[in-house]
Amino acid sequence: MSTLPSLSTSSRNTSFPFPSIYSFPPFFTRQPNSQTWTSQLSLWNSLILAYCRYNRIWRIDLNTAIEWDLFNNRDINRSLKLETCKEVLDSMVMKGDAEWVSGSGSHVSKNTSAIIYWRRPEEWANIIADWIDSTGQKNTILTLYEIAEGDLSLSQDFRGIDPTILRKALDVLIRRGQAQIMKSADGEEAGVKFFGSQ
Amino acid sequence: MTMRRGVGLAAFDNHQRTAQQYSDLGSTILQTHISELTDQLLTFQAALKKFAQSHADEIRSDPVFRSEFVKMCSAIGVDPLASSSANKKGSFWAELLGSDVNDFFFELAVRIIEICRRARDVNGGLMLVEDVKGRINSVPGRPPVSQEDIVRAVNTLAPLGHGFGIVRLANKDFIRSVPQELSRDQAVAIEATQALGYISVPILRDNLAWETARCIAVLDDLVASGLVWVDEHARPKEYWTPSWIRQ
Repeated sequence: MSTLPSLSTSSRNTSFPFPSIYSFPPFFTRQPNSQTWTSQLSLWNSLILAYCRYNRIWRIDLNTAIEWDLFNNRDINRSLKLETCKEVLDSMVMKGDAEWVSGSGSHVSKNTSAIIYWRRPEEWANIIADWIDSTGQKNTILTLYEIAEGDLSLSQDFRGIDPTILRKALDVLIRRGQAQIMKSADGEEAGVKFFGSQ
Repeated sequence: MTMRRGVGLAAFDNHQRTAQQYSDLGSTILQTHISELTDQLLTFQAALKKFAQSHADEIRSDPVFRSEFVKMCSAIGVDPLASSSANKKGSFWAELLGSDVNDFFFELAVRIIEICRRARDVNGGLMLVEDVKGRINSVPGRPPVSQEDIVRAVNTLAPLGHGFGIVRLANKDFIRSVPQELSRDQAVAIEATQALGYISVPILRDNLAWETARCIAVLDDLVASGLVWVDEHARPKEYWTPSWIRQ
């Protein structure tokens, strides 16, 4: 019944090492006591970030993710309800660990898809800037595709990064004056030029 | 001193004089005793101080030695942890024994308070001493503490009104870090969770011969106090103690 998310990039051979709270049956029930619920939210938050980081998952689409082993522990036969999952993601968005985005497809339902910041955009910005420096790519122009999927980023943490997150990271660098959007003759966006970190 | 029984008034006079002599003698003996005792005490004080100072390292790093030392102090009526004021150095014995014993338990108490504070939302302020010990000892680079050390440290906190205390349930020691004490029914119900990790209305009803209403009341109580987590997928509903979560 529970499935693994489809992983676009090659990932680990061993499955995610779940913490002991994952085997605690009440963890999958929305707790009625508000203090207990606060601690439960925090535990789910950490678990989701760790799981996404381990499996290199950039976004969660509620309707499909609800089938993942993350939210279904087959060993103890417990599953998190969709509404509770949404409450958890709402709280992550409030904390800045996730952001609601419009879902894919023409049927755009509100708040069912979220990008997950297992690294915040500022962190990604720093990592990309360091990579530009260490690979001597200062003053070159790179497309977003080249950054995420090019040969030089093969072993990087941002390999296969979700375009929306990459955008936000680049926005940080642009604000810092470390990068600039380059447009081609017809005004189309051609790529990003990096000036290197200070 | 010989006693001579006189007759008449002379006898009365004699009696008084004799009584006075006894009283004087008593005082003299007492005085001698007092000064002997004082000498002995001073010698003893010096020896105890020297012992504590020369074994300071062992007291700090070895839980077994520490335990024996504290037991020895208690046996001779010395409480190395006693504070006569809020100032931890106010105790006569703390001065005498050096601050090491006091410091050790004070620092331990601070760490315990911090661990309990952080876990309060998860466990409602009731935590197994064993779990606290596990967390303290998981920090590398420090000498290990024993369950006894933790219980002692918590007991020094109790009179200071922090709401801390040791609760013994189902033969295990728990630290209570909130002022509210467990009611009798709550305590019995928590004890019942130690068998399977959870309780339910039927479990309480069948094992304790409680009426359903009483079972429901105590379970609601425990939820309201944040002492148990609810598992609504289970039929019947189960109430779990978070101490069951293995770290």
